[in-house]
Amino acid sequence: MSSKPSLSASASASGSRSEHSKDPTTNKLPETSPIPRDISSVIDSLKKQALADRCVSIKERMEENRQRLVGITKHLHKLSEERRNNRNSDIDKSVDLLTKRQRDALDMQNGNDANNGDKASHCSQEDGHVSSAVLLGSSIAVKNAVRPIKLTEVKRLPPYTTWIFLDRNQRMTEDQSVVGRRRIYYDQTGGEALICSDSEEEAIEEEEEKKEFADFEDYILRMTIKETGLSDPVLEALGRYLSRKPCEVKARYEILNKGEKSVVGSKNGVIEDISQTLTSYLDKDLDAALDSFDNLFCRRCLVFDCRLHGCSQDLVSPAEKQLPWNHLDEDNIPCGAHCYRLAVKSESIGMVSSPVCADFEDKTAPSSDGAGPHLSSRKNCGPSSKRRAKSCQSESASSNGKNISESSDSEIRPKQDTTSTHHSSSPPKTRLVGKCAIRKRNSKRVAERVLVCMRKRQKMVASDSDSILSGRLWPRDMKLRSNSRKENEDASSSSLKKVKPSITGRSRRKCSPVQDSNKLVEGEVPEGQMNEMINDPPASSSDDTLRKEEFVDESMCKQERSDDKSWKAIEKGFFEKGVEIFGRNSCLIARNLLNGMKTCLEVFQFMNCSENKPFFRAGDGSNSMVEGYSKVDFNETMGNEVRRRSRFLRRRGRVRRLKYTWKSAGYHSIRKRISERKDQPCRQYNPCGCQSACGKQCACLLNGTCCEKYCGCPKSCKNRFRGCHCAKSQCRSRQCPCFAADRECDPDVCRNCWISCGDGTLGVPSQRGDNYECRNMKLLLKQQQRVLLGRSDVSGWGAFLKNSVGKHEYLGEYTGELISHREADKRGKIYDRENSSFLFNLNDQFVLDAYRKGDKLKFANHSPDPNCYAKVIMVAGDHRVGIFAKERISAGEELFYDYRYEPDRAPAWARKPEASGVKKEDVAPSSGRAKKLA
Amino acid sequence: MAKITLGCEPVVGSLTPSKKRDYRVTNRLQEGKRPIYAVAFNFIDSRYFNVFATVGGNRVTVYQCLEGGVIAVLQSYIDEDKDESFYTLSWACSIDGIPFLVAGGINGIIRIIDTGNEKIHKSFVGHGDSINEIRTQALRPSLVVSASKDESVRLWNVHTGICILIFSGAGGHRNEVLSVDFHPSDIYRIASCGMDNTVKIWSMKEFWTYVEKSFTWTDLPSKFPTKYVQFPVFIASVHSNYVDCNRWLGDFILSKSVDNEIVLWEPKTKEQSPGEGSVDILQKYPVPECDIWFIKFSCDFHYNAAAIGNREGKIYVWELQSSPPVLIARLSHIQSKSPIRQTAMSFDGSTILSCCEDGTIWRWDAVATP
Repeated sequence: MSSKPSLSASASASGSRSEHSKDPTTNKLPETSPIPRDISSVIDSLKKQALADRCVSIKERMEENRQRLVGITKHLHKLSEERRNNRNSDIDKSVDLLTKRQRDALDMQNGNDANNGDKASHCSQEDGHVSSAVLLGSSIAVKNAVRPIKLTEVKRLPPYTTWIFLDRNQRMTEDQSVVGRRRIYYDQTGGEALICSDSEEEAIEEEEEKKEFADFEDYILRMTIKETGLSDPVLEALGRYLSRKPCEVKARYEILNKGEKSVVGSKNGVIEDISQTLTSYLDKDLDAALDSFDNLFCRRCLVFDCRLHGCSQDLVSPAEKQLPWNHLDEDNIPCGAHCYRLAVKSESIGMVSSPVCADFEDKTAPSSDGAGPHLSSRKNCGPSSKRRAKSCQSESASSNGKNISESSDSEIRPKQDTTSTHHSSSPPKTRLVGKCAIRKRNSKRVAERVLVCMRKRQKMVASDSDSILSGRLWPRDMKLRSNSRKENEDASSSSLKKVKPSITGRSRRKCSPVQDSNKLVEGEVPEGQMNEMINDPPASSSDDTLRKEEFVDESMCKQERSDDKSWKAIEKGFFEKGVEIFGRNSCLIARNLLNGMKTCLEVFQFMNCSENKPFFRAGDGSNSMVEGYSKVDFNETMGNEVRRRSRFLRRRGRVRRLKYTWKSAGYHSIRKRISERKDQPCRQYNPCGCQSACGKQCACLLNGTCCEKYCGCPKSCKNRFRGCHCAKSQCRSRQCPCFAADRECDPDVCRNCWISCGDGTLGVPSQRGDNYECRNMKLLLKQQQRVLLGRSDVSGWGAFLKNSVGKHEYLGEYTGELISHREADKRGKIYDRENSSFLFNLNDQFVLDAYRKGDKLKFANHSPDPNCYAKVIMVAGDHRVGIFAKERISAGEELFYDYRYEPDRAPAWARKPEASGVKKEDVAPSSGRAKKLA
Repeated sequence: MAKITLGCEPVVGSLTPSKKRDYRVTNRLQEGKRPIYAVAFNFIDSRYFNVFATVGGNRVTVYQCLEGGVIAVLQSYIDEDKDESFYTLSWACSIDGIPFLVAGGINGIIRIIDTGNEKIHKSFVGHGDSINEIRTQALRPSLVVSASKDESVRLWNVHTGICILIFSGAGGHRNEVLSVDFHPSDIYRIASCGMDNTVKIWSMKEFWTYVEKSFTWTDLPSKFPTKYVQFPVFIASVHSNYVDCNRWLGDFILSKSVDNEIVLWEPKTKEQSPGEGSVDILQKYPVPECDIWFIKFSCDFHYNAAAIGNREGKIYVWELQSSPPVLIARLSHIQSKSPIRQTAMSFDGSTILSCCEDGTIWRWDAVATP
C-alpha cells in the first residue's frame, strides 16, 4: 500500500525538478555565444572559488581532527601517569633497575657538573665545533660506567615468506596479478633497486587513468554551463580545462541533468525498492532467477564461489536427461491440507473443516526425522491422540522407508535425487553407479546386510526418540517406539522379500543432512507455521528464499487465494523442472519446488489442464516421503517393483554391454595419445557442451583432452575416458588404464572403484576386505602422509616424513595458486632474482605457485638422487601434483625430489651432468636460499 | 598512485621556516661504526619521558636526556650474534608496569628486554625474515605489532609471549612490510605499509577475543591458536613507490614514500564493502632530499609536530595540525652529513634526537626564541 503514494510523489517531484533544471539552459541558449575569454574567466573564477573552498574544508577537518586528538593524547598521557603512580605505590619492594640507573645518572651529572662546569657552554655554541668538541666529557664519563649486558643468541629461522596453507589448489584472483603492474625489486645483496615493468603494460595503466568525473569537476561543469550557457565554445573551453574531449563533457552534462532528476526520485524510491527486491525473483522466469546461481555455483565441486574453477563457468548441461523420480511405496496419504487427494475426498465427503486440515498437516508432516515432528505435533495439540501416535509411527518409520526407497531409487537413477535434495547433494550419491553392479551380483549377501543395517537402524531410531523424549516418557511414546520398531521390522522384511539390495550406510548418511535441515527449518520458523516448513526439507536454496518471502501472507490466506492466482513464469518454470525431476507427482512438486507458492492441488490441476491428460493413477502421485509408512500395499508395490526391476535390469544390461565395447575402443586411442604426448605438458581440461556424441567440433577433441564426466556429451561419446574395471589389481600398476594414463580412478566412471570410510561400516562389502579396494584414489581421498616442516639437513627449510612408507606410496599433494604461464613469467623474474621460486608447471595452461599459498611439501628440497618423485595426475578433471615415494622411506627422513628444471634454465645447484628429458620446472626455495646465504 | 583530481588538491606546506621555534645541537655521540636505524623516547611511562633508546648493529642502548644537553648512558645490551643488525625498537611494558624494550632486526627475532631487571625477558621467533618496525599499543602497552620482510604483520603479547594474530594472506602485503602503527584511539585498528607501495588498514575487531585470550593463556605459547587476518579493511594506493613510514594522526594517516614528502590523507572506508574505499589527500609536507627508503619520521606525544631527517643529514620539523602546514624549523649542522634514519621527538617536542647512518646520535634542543 505504502509504495503507491510514494511512487506518485516521486514522479511529480522529479517532474517538477526536471522542468526546473531545464529552465536555465533553455533560457540561456539563445542569448549566448560568449567570447572564449569570458568563458575562461568564468572557469577560472570557479576554479579559484573551488580551491578556496577546498582549503577551508581541509582546515575545518584538520581542526576537527585536532580536537579529537587532543582528547586522545590527554587520555594517553593520563595512562602513562597512572603507570608511574602504580609503580610508586609498590616501589619500595623493588626499585627497578632502569629507575635506579636514571637516578644514578642524575646524581652523577650533578657531581660532574661541578667538575666540568664548562660543558653547558659547549653545548650552546655548537655550530663551528669540530667533532671531538661536541662529544662531551660528562656523557663519556657516564657511558663508561655501563657494562653491556649480553643477550644470549637465539638461532634464527631459515628465511621464508609468510604463506597460507592450502589443502587444494586455488585459482589466482584478479588482484593478485602482477601483470601490468610496476614492481620494484630491491636487491639486498647488490643494493640495487630494479623496476620491473614492460612498456606494453604501462600503456594499459595509462588507459585505466581515464577516470570518472569527480564531484568537483561536475560542479564546475554545471556551474559554467549554467552561467554561460551550453554552446560549443563553452564545451571546448571546459574540455580544455578538464583535459577532456568536448563530447565527453557534453555527455557528462547530460548525465548530470538526468542524475539530478533521479536523485529526487530515488529518495522516494527506497520503499519501492525494498518491495521490489522482495518480489523480484517472482517476476523473473526461472532461467533469469537461476542466472546468478548458474554463475556462482561450481558444478564440478558442488560449491558456490569455487576457488578452483572460478565463477561464470560455461554452463554445461548433460545430454542425458535423468528419468523422473520413481518411488516405490505408494499410498493414499495426502501430502498436506491442500493435497489433491484430500480435495478429491472432500468433494465427496463435503466440507473439511480447517482445524482438521491443520491436523492432517501435522500428522503427515513427513520427514525422516523422528524427533522434530514429535515435538511439533505435541505442541500443536491436535485433537486426537490416537491419530497423532499414528503419525508418529509413520514418521519414525519413514526414516527407514525413505532410506529403502531412496537407495533403491538411486540404483535405478543414481543421480536424480541430487537435484531434489539440494543440501545434501554430494558426490557419494553419484558414486552409487559403480557399485550397482556388484550389489546386484551379491544380492543375497546384500540382503543379509540389509537385515543387519535395519537392526542397526532400529537401535538408532529407538535411541533417537529416547534422547528426545527422555524428559517426558509418556506411555504413548513408549508404545510409539515399539511400534516404530515393529514397523522397521516390517519394512525390512518387506525389503528382504523384494530382494531389494543395498541399504547402505551411505543412504543413511544421506539422511542426516536432511534431518539437519529439518531442524534448521524448525528453528527459523514460528511454531504455527512449522508444519509447512517441515514439509520441505530438501528445498533448493532459491526455493528457500522464495519461501521466506512469500511465506507469511501465503500461508495465511493460501486457501482463499489459491484459485484466483494465475501461474507466473517462474512458477511454470519450477513446475517444468519439477516434472523433470519427480515426474507427474504434484505432491512432490508442490512441496519441493513450489512451496508457499502453489499447493499440491493447484499443481495437480495445472498439470492436468496443461497436459490435457486424464486422471492418472493416484499411486503415482503419492507422497514419497511417507513411502515407508507401514501400511504399504504389498501387492501393489510388489507389482510395481517387479515391473520396475525388469526395466532396471534391461537398462543395466545394455549399459554394461556398451561399456564393454567402449572399453576396447577407447583405451587404445587414449593410451596412444598419452604416449604421443609424453614430453608435452598435459592439456587443461574444459568440459565440452556437446549435446550429442562428440564429433570433430568437440571442444575437448580439439583441445586434445578426453571427455570427462562433466562434459555435456552422452556416456556413449567416443572421446570419453572409460575408466577401469580392475578388481584384484587394485589399480596400482600400469595394467590399470587409469593408472597408466596418469589419472586417478573415479568412482563415477570406473566400474569397481568406490570409496569407503575405511572400517567397512559404511557400505563396502566387508567380505571383500582390503584386497579389493582401489588404491588409485589417494589424492581424491586425501590419503596422504603426515609431513613435517623443519630445518633441512641440506639447506634452509626441509620437509620430513613422520611415518615410514613403502615404495610408490603417495605422500601428499603439492598445492598452490594456479596462475597462467604469462603470470608465472612475470612472477618468476622476481623469484629468480631472489633465487627462491615455488613455481611448478602443471599443464599447458597453468603453473602452480606456492609462494604465498601452498602446503608444506613446497619446502621439499631438490636432489639429483631423490627419494621422491612428483607426478601430475588427473583427478576428476583437474590436474594435480602428487609427490610419491621413490623408494622405501623411513620415519623422520627428509624428502627430496628432482625438480627437473629445463636444462638451460636450471640454476647451478640443480644442474645435472646428464640433461635428461625434463619437463617440470621448479626451484628449490631453501636450496636456492642456501646458495645465497652460504 | 591516486590521481589528484580537480577540487581534491592537497594543501602543500611552504618550505620557508616559520622560525616559530629554533633548535640547536647540544650533544653528539658516536655509538659505533655501524648505522643506527632507530631511536625512540619512552612515551609509555611518564617516569621515563626523558629516557630513550637506540639500536644499531647488534647493540641496544638506553640513554637519558639530562639538563644542559647531557646524555647519560643507562644501559647497554649486546646480542651475542654478531650478525644481528637491529632495525627497530619500541618501548612497551608488562602488565605489572615493568618497562620493556622491544627490538628486532635482520634476524627476524624479536627481543623483549626487561629494562627493569636488565635481562632478556623473551625472544619471539616466528617471523620468516627481518623485522622492519615494531610499535606498541599505547592503550594496552603489552601489545606490540611488528612489520617484517616476510610480508606479514604480527601482533604479539609481550607479557605472555604469544603471537596472537598474523596479518597476511590473500589480501596482505605483496612485498616487505616496512612500517606499521596502531590507531591512537581505535584499539582494533592498525595501518601498515611497505614495498608494495600500498598502505593497508586492518581491523582486528573480529579477532579481539583472541587478543583477550592471550593475556590469560597459561599453556605453551606455541599452542596458542594464532589466527590469520587475511583481508584488510582498506587498501590505499597513495604512493607510487616504497612506503617506508606511516603514522596515524587521529583518524588521518601520515605516510611517506621516497618522493620527498610526507602525505596526510584521510581513508574513506565503505562499511558494506571492506577493502574498497577512497583516499582524500589533505596535506603535503615537503621534505627535500628525502629520496632513499628507510627514513622514518617521529612525532611528539601530542602530535603537534613531526621531525624527519633526510639523505643529507638535515632535519625538517613540521607543524602537523595546522592548515596549511607550517615548517617550524629546518635543522642543519655542518658536520651532520650522513643520512638520518630516524628521529625522536621528546614528550613536548623540545628535544629532537636524530640517529644517522654513520653511527652518530645528535641531540637538538629548542632554544627559547628571543
